[in-house]
Amino acid sequence: MYFLVGVDKTPGIIEVKDLTLVYSDGTKAVDDISFDVQEGEFFGFLGPNGAGKSTTIKILTTLLRKTAGTVTIAGYDIEKQAPEIRKIIGVQSQETTVDGDLTGRENITLQGHFHQMNSDEIKKRVNELIVLVGLEAAADRRGRNYSGGMKKRLDLATALVHKPKMLFLDEPTTGLDPQSRAAIWSYLEKLNKEEKITIFLTTQYLEEADKLCKRLSIIDVGKIVASGSPLELKREIAADSIRIALENCQRDNTKAKELIKTLKNVNEIIDNEECLTVYAKNAGLLIADIVRALDSRDIRIASVTFSSPSLDDVFLKHTGKRIRTEELVKAPSPAWGGARR
Amino acid sequence: MQGDEQKMTLLSDTRYIFIRYLTKLVRTPILLFFSLFQPILFLVLFTQLLGKLSDFPGVLPPGVAYLEFAAAGIVMQNAFGSALQSGNSIVADIDSGFLQKMLVTPVSRAAILLGRLSSDAFRVVVQTAIILGLGYALGVAENKPFYVATGVVGILLIFFTLAFFGLAWSGISLALGMKTRSSETVFAIGGVITFPLLFLSPALFPLSFLPGWVQTVSMFNPVSYCINATRALMINGYQWSTILPAWGVIGLVAVITMSATLYQFRKVVS
Repeated sequence: MYFLVGVDKTPGIIEVKDLTLVYSDGTKAVDDISFDVQEGEFFGFLGPNGAGKSTTIKILTTLLRKTAGTVTIAGYDIEKQAPEIRKIIGVQSQETTVDGDLTGRENITLQGHFHQMNSDEIKKRVNELIVLVGLEAAADRRGRNYSGGMKKRLDLATALVHKPKMLFLDEPTTGLDPQSRAAIWSYLEKLNKEEKITIFLTTQYLEEADKLCKRLSIIDVGKIVASGSPLELKREIAADSIRIALENCQRDNTKAKELIKTLKNVNEIIDNEECLTVYAKNAGLLIADIVRALDSRDIRIASVTFSSPSLDDVFLKHTGKRIRTEELVKAPSPAWGGARR
Repeated sequence: MQGDEQKMTLLSDTRYIFIRYLTKLVRTPILLFFSLFQPILFLVLFTQLLGKLSDFPGVLPPGVAYLEFAAAGIVMQNAFGSALQSGNSIVADIDSGFLQKMLVTPVSRAAILLGRLSSDAFRVVVQTAIILGLGYALGVAENKPFYVATGVVGILLIFFTLAFFGLAWSGISLALGMKTRSSETVFAIGGVITFPLLFLSPALFPLSFLPGWVQTVSMFNPVSYCINATRALMINGYQWSTILPAWGVIGLVAVITMSATLYQFRKVVS
């Protein structure tokens, strides 16, 4: 069981306690999870396909009825006050739901009407949103002619028409090329920072969770296995590594090892093809000490490379397996393909 | 107060969903083509093939051209065909996730269904008007009588009867669509239902012209009543003894199919 830091904090905009969902065929898609999200937060669920991310979002957005537990959104009970909740949330589902027979502008306008906005309000808002998601040139073309990335952006705009207090995004960039993904990321960060919209996002991309979420829960087979900020989570893995290349490795290798061994928090030192790899907890803090120690004995350093554990290492630690994501779709331009790890 | 507000929401939401479906129909030329082409083809083909029926004394009522006689069957067949495809739109909205997208908004749940049904009804009325107009043009061209005995009010009653009939049968398609979530099934069932009911009715031939067993079956065929009422309004005048039972039968079908639709819709929505 994981408990959040702080005892007497204000109630979150999302409060979920002991939530369970069992499908009619007996599958337990969500298994007794509890978490909360504070107003203005950018919160995420990271997990592989079938972990229960979409199911949780469907419950939180009033589409699915939970089996057990309590859920409140902005203080409203998810079942008794569903109509109130629908007024203040925006939802982007995993399937891109753009009506291909309508133009981009018409798609957003229709959602505005579904939120009972008046026509002047809608018109103004639609123009703003078209600019926000960069669809000015395509706004009056039919949705079916849009590329995948444009459809996702339009879909995002339709979810924002009524200025929701919170936004639920179910894998908003799955299947997109890196360029479209980066565009969506920048809109989301802007919305969270500038418009103070609380965002709940699910993703199977480590990079996405790491970059966007201030706090996240790692979810696997319906259970939350770890929660915290990406940094906190990665800190749990005491396996940062520092690769050190020396100008004269042959001569200084043994001396260097002995010096580094005396430093605090060092777990292990092994040889590598360049010279040494040091494994340590919070190794970032150690770099200066290592450099100083070596320098004091006139051991000259050729390079130092620091690498911290990824969220995949965190996932591995808690579940014993890696998140299996299909390879990110590469953009046609080789410049983009090469830019990503 | 709150009730009034809800009614307003229901009406405006229904309107926007109605407009959405009509926009989709108009912008999908292939759908528009088929929904107009088939009834027009039937009207022209059948009246050309069977036009000589009017020459045999005693087959058709005196002074009635086959064109005039068959029109009631053709408009019924058109309404029937359109109605039985209605479920496809719901299947498409479920598949694409658009239905879910509506359901996470405060949009009136009833409006989702009413918007669909009203667009079906509107479509039937427009298609009926086109067929009657074409029938009139054919009548002028071939110098045969083609007029509606009950005048403008009668035409409105014909529209009403067919729209009502269309709604009643849309229900089957919608319920099936939501139950099976497969447009192939909706298409197949539509085809399977249409043809027997159409040919085991007085749609294209006078009853007296048909074998005895077909006459018997056609009495139990709900479609026959709609045809007889439309035909009465076109040829005989306000023959209430034919029109009112037809509305009764359509109403009965509507109660059954709409109950099934509502039942399935509740399952989809909750």
